[in-house]
Amino acid sequence: MEKKIAVYICTGCGIGDALDIDALSKVAKGEFKVPICKTDGQLCGPEGVALIKQDIENDGVDTVVIAGCSARVNYDVFKFGSDKIVERVNLREQVIWCHTADDEDTQMLAEDYMRMGLVKQKNMNVPEPYHVESFSRNIMVLGGGLTGLTAALESAKAGYSTILVEKEAELGGYVGKMYKQVPMKPPFTDLEENCIPNLVKAVEDAGVKIYKSATVENTAGAPGMFDVTIKQDDGTVQERVGAIVLATGAKPYEADKLGHLGFGKFPNVITQSMFEEMAVAGTPEASKVAFIQCAGSRDQEHLPYCSAACCIESIKQALYVKEKNDEANVYVYYKDIRSNGQYEHFYMKAQQEGVVFVKGDVTEITEEDGKLTIEADDKTMGTTSLADEFDYVVLANGMVPTAALGDLMEEESTTDEAAAACDEPKASTPPIIKANLLNLVYRQGPELPALKYGFPDSHYICFPYETRRTGIYAAGVVRAPMDMLSAVEDGAGAAMKAIQCVEVTEKGEAVHPRSGDMSFPEFNMNRCTQCKRCTEECPFGAINEDEKGNPLPNPSRCRRCGTCMGACPERIISFKNYSVPMVGNMVKAIEMPEEDEEKPRILIFACDNDAIPALDMAGINHMQYNSWVRIIPLRCLGSLNLVWINDAMGRGFDGVLLMGCKHGDDYQCHFMKGSELAEIRLSKISETLDRLGLESERVRATTVSIMDYDKIPAMLDEFAADLEELGPNPMKDFQ
Amino acid sequence: MVTPDKERAAEQAVPHSFKKKRGDNYFMEQKKIFSEPVKYDLTFAREIYRLENGSYIKQCMNCGLCTVSCATRDVMEYPPRQLFNLIKLGKKEEVLTSNTFWSCTSCCTCKARCPRGIPIIDVMHDLKKYAIEYGYTDYPQAAFYKAFWTEMSSRGKMFEGGMTARYFLTRGLDEIVKAMDMKDVGISMLKHGRMPLLPPKKIKGLGGLKKIISKAQELDRKEAAR
Amino acid sequence: MRYSYYPGCSSEATAKANAHSIEGVAKALDVQLEEIPDWNCCGASVASGVVGDFTQLVVTARNLAIAETKGLDVVTGCSSCYMTLAVANKKFKQDEHFRAKANEALAAAGLNYNGTLQVRQFLDVIINDVGLDKVAQKVKKSLDGLTVAGYVGCQTVRALPFEFDDPEQPVFMDRLMEALGATAADFPMRARCCGSSSTIPARDIVLDLGYKIFESAVAGGAQVIVTPCPMCQLNLDAYQSLVNRKYGTNFNIPVLFFTQLMAVAFGLSLEDQAFKYSIVSPYEALVQYSK
Repeated sequence: MEKKIAVYICTGCGIGDALDIDALSKVAKGEFKVPICKTDGQLCGPEGVALIKQDIENDGVDTVVIAGCSARVNYDVFKFGSDKIVERVNLREQVIWCHTADDEDTQMLAEDYMRMGLVKQKNMNVPEPYHVESFSRNIMVLGGGLTGLTAALESAKAGYSTILVEKEAELGGYVGKMYKQVPMKPPFTDLEENCIPNLVKAVEDAGVKIYKSATVENTAGAPGMFDVTIKQDDGTVQERVGAIVLATGAKPYEADKLGHLGFGKFPNVITQSMFEEMAVAGTPEASKVAFIQCAGSRDQEHLPYCSAACCIESIKQALYVKEKNDEANVYVYYKDIRSNGQYEHFYMKAQQEGVVFVKGDVTEITEEDGKLTIEADDKTMGTTSLADEFDYVVLANGMVPTAALGDLMEEESTTDEAAAACDEPKASTPPIIKANLLNLVYRQGPELPALKYGFPDSHYICFPYETRRTGIYAAGVVRAPMDMLSAVEDGAGAAMKAIQCVEVTEKGEAVHPRSGDMSFPEFNMNRCTQCKRCTEECPFGAINEDEKGNPLPNPSRCRRCGTCMGACPERIISFKNYSVPMVGNMVKAIEMPEEDEEKPRILIFACDNDAIPALDMAGINHMQYNSWVRIIPLRCLGSLNLVWINDAMGRGFDGVLLMGCKHGDDYQCHFMKGSELAEIRLSKISETLDRLGLESERVRATTVSIMDYDKIPAMLDEFAADLEELGPNPMKDFQ
Repeated sequence: MVTPDKERAAEQAVPHSFKKKRGDNYFMEQKKIFSEPVKYDLTFAREIYRLENGSYIKQCMNCGLCTVSCATRDVMEYPPRQLFNLIKLGKKEEVLTSNTFWSCTSCCTCKARCPRGIPIIDVMHDLKKYAIEYGYTDYPQAAFYKAFWTEMSSRGKMFEGGMTARYFLTRGLDEIVKAMDMKDVGISMLKHGRMPLLPPKKIKGLGGLKKIISKAQELDRKEAAR
Repeated sequence: MRYSYYPGCSSEATAKANAHSIEGVAKALDVQLEEIPDWNCCGASVASGVVGDFTQLVVTARNLAIAETKGLDVVTGCSSCYMTLAVANKKFKQDEHFRAKANEALAAAGLNYNGTLQVRQFLDVIINDVGLDKVAQKVKKSLDGLTVAGYVGCQTVRALPFEFDDPEQPVFMDRLMEALGATAADFPMRARCCGSSSTIPARDIVLDLGYKIFESAVAGGAQVIVTPCPMCQLNLDAYQSLVNRKYGTNFNIPVLFFTQLMAVAFGLSLEDQAFKYSIVSPYEALVQYSK
């Protein structure tokens, strides 16, 4: 059906003063023959909005192009229903606020953006949401410890049918076996009774369906339709759930590896959990006890990370000793006491009770007549210090996430095709450890991909509970080392994410960061060559494969980043409102001045998540940069298809710049791998460019975070200066 | 605008002669101060914890803010946090013979900055008192403190002339010789009418004051005995 | 504005200039100061090192107990007195156990203190009760052209942090100097220690710290240093020549009580300006302002 297009140009915020609005209208009315083109002094005001609504009602307008402010503002004002296409042409943040007013080049920029917007809407269709069949709103929590119980309780209290799977015969996990617990409420100074019995009762009362002594044999499907096979002694059960919280916790670090601290050598050198067991049985009378922190943690030989909970757990256990015998001498040997947040009060409480904290590294533990002696490199005194007559030495032996316990998944067997592909640079793939937790039936492997130290990857900067598997949310110490208070918060947070996931999946919308997006990739399977690039590169494992290598998409797992679209060499993947031809046509819509006009053109592909906001911020701060640039926002640099660069260079652009997010271990890419993949793809064409006699420096990739907005003008001007040195693109002549 | 950086730079502005001296002491915390291993023994610490402000020592978390804040850090044998640790180690002799608390000028910088709220200057007062009680009075400051108190409690007011005389009487001839190069100061003070030769009148309520003092000390003793 | 006034021992000896100028300035600003009858020495930061905190605070509180019968808040012009009086006062207000115990001791002389008063530094009273507007109105001879290093020292702002100014970067002294028409010197050492009572037992401490303070004041272009503290004034004024001798410097910077400069700006009598007590002569630096 033919679209009914209307263009509205806002002249407010100084746009009308800085630009020739008549000339701009002519682009729409003349070049593009748009039937309706109106201007308004304040389009976002009630009268402006009413004007648009009137045209929609009276003239059947279904495609609205608004030339004014950035799409990042007033999106709630310019909302005309999901059956209308709304396209925004950013004349404010990216034109008049950062370029000279009343200037020929600024005017050309604005007109190009108008052309790009009009071409874009031409190539767009209204997305139709994907609906899961036999959709389930149930939420499954895997792991019945503190975090899992909290998640299950929160989910059930919010009105969602909840299933809890615990591998042991009793609920409670590590915390459940404690004598007492660290304070969880103000004033954060007193030992508290173990909360697990009450929590278990609350979970039972809330109607959570509980499977004990149960493990997950496999998890198939996608958000809204996970089919989980639960194995118990007497067989298996299948449950369909909408989203999953992974709260399988951690295990204490193997104390057998701590022989240097006397474990295994002296019976009274014990671990925190052993001391906890003793306390449950009745704290032993002891007149002198030492706790050794970082026994394994923050040690390159053992666990390089801080286990986060041991400091306050040791402080708690020190207070057990004092509770029993306040004359007892209790020592804590530490590197740094990391009693985060309110637990500083707990630390101080222990000090006031007379627990002595010694800053130093333990160098040797010896035993004589059953009493232990500790020798330490005492940091405060700058010398060796001794303390003897200890009844017990307790090692704070840290924690290892259950996700890290298992064999590393091996690379798939090399086929001829894969061997050929090996020569090509490839994005690093995150390790998958076969930890026997979820047993996913996914092409990319059975568990969540790990980032560092075997902890499942989470985008800790922006979305801490997210994993690389949509609809599965990791919480508690399986995700990161943390104390009990944080674990409770994590459990609640992950339950909330799971709820959010089933709610948006039911509507056919994406979970964030593209929340609300109803488009999803469609595959023109006639032309698929089974190259597997899409199935391999999807950062979320959304695409399975049949035996022949054909992609089997799972739209509800999809985050709509478009990485598959960028990966596909055959360009058979597209979204209703985002496609290779759409961006390609936008590139082609930009007017290319003749070489002798001395007006270079620079194309910028900027990531929607950080680079576009940063560019807008530069505008908001009225920072000026050259007006040769033409910016095209991409969902993620991962969706960059190389054909666009070919198009651009062929069109005579003097340079192309990719602006994406930081990658690496502490990546900021909202889709994990997008900017890294784009750079890798880029490296593949530099050779081609050189062969064509085009300097490969003309095409560059850079990373920006939103905080870098003030560096953007210099970045763009520098690139322009470099290009000037290279001279104009010789392809201009062939236009 | 005074920035912390500027302040630090100003504090560290020292003439050449002073720098050398500073170098000797500045890294004392890194220096090994004991050749033999030290051994933790809490007996002495428990005694110190019982002093008026003694139990605050337990709260020290070894951050070192007191050390960098101290006006007299260059001359202190042990910075405050190290002194506190010596107490926990039971190093009674080292603690009581150190110049740390005697060097304290009560400038309150450490007290105002201590993230653990330890009133460090008050702890130093306790240690001074404790040292005097146990006869550790070799430092000139001990004599000065005693002279001050005797003068004050016998008159109700301070008479600097009297205090100075008492101080030198205790410290002996050597100190007077050393003080001779200060005679210029004394003379100019006299000349500018700032050093009365006669003491101020005793306060009328001196008897009452003395009663207050002895009652206060009695109450202190009672509480300590408990 | 009426207050009980605690002059402190130095007012009768080393810091007569403080006493005279406070008296003159108070009168000019309609601040009535009524001396606490038969006041006794507060013990400064020394007595507690001999007899303990409790005894010293009780001795100090004798003054508060006497003042309480009149019901007027206590003002003092000495930092050390301010510290001991204010800390004792705070303890009476906040620590019930202390109050009971201290009153038991005070009862030995028939006294009692309920903690109803406030203890104030004279600088605090001028800034917060009188106000800088009124101070500016009283200026007869603006100190225009004079750069002053406002040396606040330690105990004035750190005895009770944030009681009336920032303990690390106090600003009130500078604002006051500006109200008098002077320029406040950029003076990073404004709240650092001068060595206090170490002059007699450990003089080098005072000389070393004094050196840093002079260096900083001179670098900030100061022609004169002002302070609210008798100990600071004494150390910096009387020992300036020894600092010069030790370090081969030639500092010659007058050190006055801030109230003396107020007396100058207000055009008060020479008696109130009290220059004659200064060892480093202020006449040259202030000749064009003082009559």
